[in-house]
Amino acid sequence: MIRLQQLNLGDLNVGPLKRPYVALMMDVIGRGLEAASQVDETIQREVRKLPDGFMFDMRALPDGPCFVMQKDGDSTLSYIGSTAPRKPDVSLKFKHLNHAFLVLSFQEGTARAFANDRLLVDGEIAYAMKLVRCLNRMESLILPKVVAVRALKRYPQLSLKEKLADGGRIYTRLVKNLVWG
Amino acid sequence: MTKAYYEFFCPVKIVAGNAALEHIPYELRTLAASRPMIITDKGVRGAGLVDHVLGAFAESGMDVVEIFDDVPPDSSTTVVKTIAKLYRDSGCDSIIAVGGGSVIDTSKGVNILVSEDGEDLSEFSGVGVLTKPLRPFFVVPTTAGTGSEVTLVAVISDPEKGVKLPFTSYFLLPNAAILDPRMTLTLPAHITAMTAMDALTHAVEAFTCMGKNPISDAYAVSAIKKISENLMTVLNTPDDVDARLELAQASTMAGVAFSNSMVGLVHSLGHSLGALCHLPHGLCMNLFLPYVLEYNLAERGDIIGELLLPLAGADVYASTPASERGRAAINTIREMRDELYRRCKLPRSLSETGKVTKDQIQKIAEMALDDGSIIFNPVEVDLADAIAVLEKAW
Repeated sequence: MIRLQQLNLGDLNVGPLKRPYVALMMDVIGRGLEAASQVDETIQREVRKLPDGFMFDMRALPDGPCFVMQKDGDSTLSYIGSTAPRKPDVSLKFKHLNHAFLVLSFQEGTARAFANDRLLVDGEIAYAMKLVRCLNRMESLILPKVVAVRALKRYPQLSLKEKLADGGRIYTRLVKNLVWG
Repeated sequence: MTKAYYEFFCPVKIVAGNAALEHIPYELRTLAASRPMIITDKGVRGAGLVDHVLGAFAESGMDVVEIFDDVPPDSSTTVVKTIAKLYRDSGCDSIIAVGGGSVIDTSKGVNILVSEDGEDLSEFSGVGVLTKPLRPFFVVPTTAGTGSEVTLVAVISDPEKGVKLPFTSYFLLPNAAILDPRMTLTLPAHITAMTAMDALTHAVEAFTCMGKNPISDAYAVSAIKKISENLMTVLNTPDDVDARLELAQASTMAGVAFSNSMVGLVHSLGHSLGALCHLPHGLCMNLFLPYVLEYNLAERGDIIGELLLPLAGADVYASTPASERGRAAINTIREMRDELYRRCKLPRSLSETGKVTKDQIQKIAEMALDDGSIIFNPVEVDLADAIAVLEKAW
């Protein structure tokens, strides 16, 4: 009976800290992407090709943590929060909170999550590919190389300016966004 | 401890071999269907292939109720709606698609509308929108290449909105795929070659890309072996029924493999080239396969090397040092392409197509980066990488 209760509460597979961790990381990634789109030209080039007002989200099914972003102006993304005001144009959906945890704790890369059928795309695939490239680029800029290589298929060659100056500016904006909202 | 994970699903009944078509009436009855509609195109009907299917209903106590034979090369919602009306007006209860990719995708669209009693196909577009089984649906492929008879996707253009609607659902999988050698017996040499290279690419990418898994690997390896052992036989003796059936089975097996493990950069480039320059899909696959394998060789050398066995046979495999098998497998594919060029002028490079200009390379590369299959390629690809592969393929 106790085991049945544990199973139904999800205690065995999802520890008590996983949901708050995933929620925090979703917040960090959303705000990090917002900051990176204000600083990095590579990300700006990708965003520029998205339609005006384009909205996307990343969520853990069925009702797990989520972040929603919208194209804001010509080449930047703005963080909307955890609730979408309308159906997003593209939705990146983890099948389970645990799958989101694997990716957001850098145990499994985004491409591997797709290959393992853990991450689904609902919407136009071409836009989803641009978003994946934006996420990869942001991760390569702000994560230490030793962590980023676990998340990416190939760690890009970054100049000192890109890694330190741009990475530093993204961090500053990210912290500011996290603290002041 | 390994953290590997995979999924594999293929509920399609394979009805294959001599007189396979004659099994259709029985198979329909097992699904409580008795009033089938055939959906096909003018080319297939003109080649007399629909007659083989109609002939299979003789003495079966069942008749084909309706035939629609005007599916265009690109599936559209307009045609789907027209066929769905015909299906309803004629009181049909099942669908038999006889043809290639467009006929099969169109038929999947028709099956959605008639099963869901819908009028607007766009309402059912997306992933997992369908929630219940559709009407009995059989596919009789008339080429040995696409593998669409075992895939759960369909892409249908909406001319009014100017978009391509994607549909993904397990319920789109046909109930049965009927592989009868009569259906590919008269396929011209260049189409036989092109479609076989399409199937070969499905199998090779399924085996070498990120979604590979033990079960799809088994299908992929068998498909490659059947193609490498039978393609030249069919080109030498086009009416060799057994070899034709081997190619048809290889195509279906490659379809099962890639629909479960996805494909990679060959398809990303091929989809883009096909869309931009209007070249057949199989030809695009033939153009890029060795160059992409070379691009992936450093990362996937061992895995590509395993393909030397089904490609070149046990003797060659055994006499090739393990470290050289990857390169040797690629060379075997190159030799196969050279032979196909010699026999039926199947282009091996972008320049040999005569339909691509060098200034299109940048655009093809940009489009390829947005293709969904690129994420499954084992090696990261950026714009410069894609351009470099295209230039090698020039």
